[in-house]
Amino acid sequence: MKKFSNLIYAVLPVLGVGALIGVWTILSLQEGTLIPTPVETWERFLVIMTDPISKATLPVHVLVSLKRVLSAFGFAIVLGIITGVLFGWYPRVKALLSPIFELLRPIPPIAWIPLLILMFGIGEVPKILLVFIGAFIPIVMNTQSGIESIDPMLIKAGQSFGCNHRQLLFHVALPASTPAILAGIKMALSSGWMCVVAAEMIAAKQGVGFLIVRGQEAGDTALIVSCMLVIGVVSFLLSAILTKLEGVLCPWQFKKTK
Amino acid sequence: MAVQKNKISMKNISKTFTTRTGDVSVLKDVSINVFENEFLVILGPGQCGKTVLMNILAGLEQPTGGEVVFADGTPKMGDLGIVFQKYYIYPWKNVMQNVELSQEVKGVDKKTRRESAQKYIDLVGLSGFEKSIPRELSGGMKQRVGIARAYATESDIMIMDEPFGALDAQTRYQMQEEILKIWEKKKRTVIFVTSNLEEAIYLGDRIILLGGSPTSVKAEYIPDMPRPRNYTSKEFLDLRNEIADNTDLAL
Ligand SMILES: Nc1ncnc2c1ncn2[C@@H]1O[C@H](COP(=O)(O)OP(=O)(O)OP(=O)(O)O)[C@@H](O)[C@H]1O
Ligand SMILES: [Mg+2]
Repeated sequence: MKKFSNLIYAVLPVLGVGALIGVWTILSLQEGTLIPTPVETWERFLVIMTDPISKATLPVHVLVSLKRVLSAFGFAIVLGIITGVLFGWYPRVKALLSPIFELLRPIPPIAWIPLLILMFGIGEVPKILLVFIGAFIPIVMNTQSGIESIDPMLIKAGQSFGCNHRQLLFHVALPASTPAILAGIKMALSSGWMCVVAAEMIAAKQGVGFLIVRGQEAGDTALIVSCMLVIGVVSFLLSAILTKLEGVLCPWQFKKTK
Repeated sequence: MAVQKNKISMKNISKTFTTRTGDVSVLKDVSINVFENEFLVILGPGQCGKTVLMNILAGLEQPTGGEVVFADGTPKMGDLGIVFQKYYIYPWKNVMQNVELSQEVKGVDKKTRRESAQKYIDLVGLSGFEKSIPRELSGGMKQRVGIARAYATESDIMIMDEPFGALDAQTRYQMQEEILKIWEKKKRTVIFVTSNLEEAIYLGDRIILLGGSPTSVKAEYIPDMPRPRNYTSKEFLDLRNEIADNTDLAL
């Protein structure tokens, strides 16, 4: 029985993806469609793996985009957690600063692009800033709500054992909200990755977003679709890495995997 | 019994909660004296306000009326050893880290506080589990961590809120014996809360029975029996019946 159910769960995902490719193939074989066939897409993918476009092969473009995401990400994690802790743990700081945050928060990150380009040109700075904005917001929100939703008795227990306010933060509040913070970081990663593609589509000489636009200009739909798939796969891998990290950072939350 | 020195006086403690549906009066005029080094049991039915009373005693909650007076001056936070009903041990800390917390935040150096914590870990029978995290422990073991952590405060006052409430009968008997052994080895003032009548009689130097609505002190009993007490002895059963007759809810 157990074996059978394992088998089912191994087969079902393959079936799902297979169905997608099937539908894709049928659509791409219609008369006059622009949709490339899976085979054309795969062949285009193999070509850009080795033949440079705008002086860079696909892996280089991916690395360029990743570098932008990750450099913004470092800042977003550090500053986001600090801001979230300040909001969640120090009511006066929250009263002072969180209205500003609440006003800026609902602005979609990509609405910042025109201003950022006018201010910083089309170099690395505006792209990194945009990713930072996209990643910073979910980290702040999750950190803050993680801290604010701790069981008050966990805090009281800490007090009863002599923890002062700062010790409570490090012994109780931060570890208790680590799962929420990690969830925020996960959201931030996909949001940051979205932002970098958007920024590159508007103004860039390299990066996967740039490649997609190049495909549009050249009417090269196989290029567009292979880039889209690459974006999806990279984003999936990043999130898988973070899930692994969750298990390492909060072993109390997750079952030990043998 | 010898002349007893008063350690804590709860004087006319009242507690009313203001909720969305109106005021709820939980405790009314609860006055209890606690003597130095006695094993005091506070017995009351479920939901009668025992935890609220213990939180007030521990300074974690404010009464709406009355006061708690400590003979040796109001203790600072960290000066009482508290075992919480729902454990509240920290899942992200291993057994050792949980037990040493009260010393760590006082700034005691690592070697000293580890030695002291180890003593209490051994005392509650968790030797070998120092590095385990709570999710790897059974309910009984978690509560042992809670007890070791409370002892590690080195406090001379221990507050235990239904520490064995979640344990199966077998473990419960075993823990009751152990808690008495530990107490007899080194006397401290223990305030032990329970809703279990047999447990109260088995453990207490004195039993304070709570009841009524809002809750107040109904009666006081002194089980005049040598320890270890026998659950099936006549005196035990007589006292059991006497208290049961005076109890408004089936315990
Ligand atoms: N913060 C609060 N706000 C409103 N009502 C509360 C609050 N804390 C406790 N109560 C009420 O006080 C009553 C007593 O609660 P308490 O937890 O002290 O009971 P208890 O005797 O410890 O029960 P148990 O045997 O289940 O542990 C309950 O009816 C509860 O709903
Ligand atoms: Mg209770």
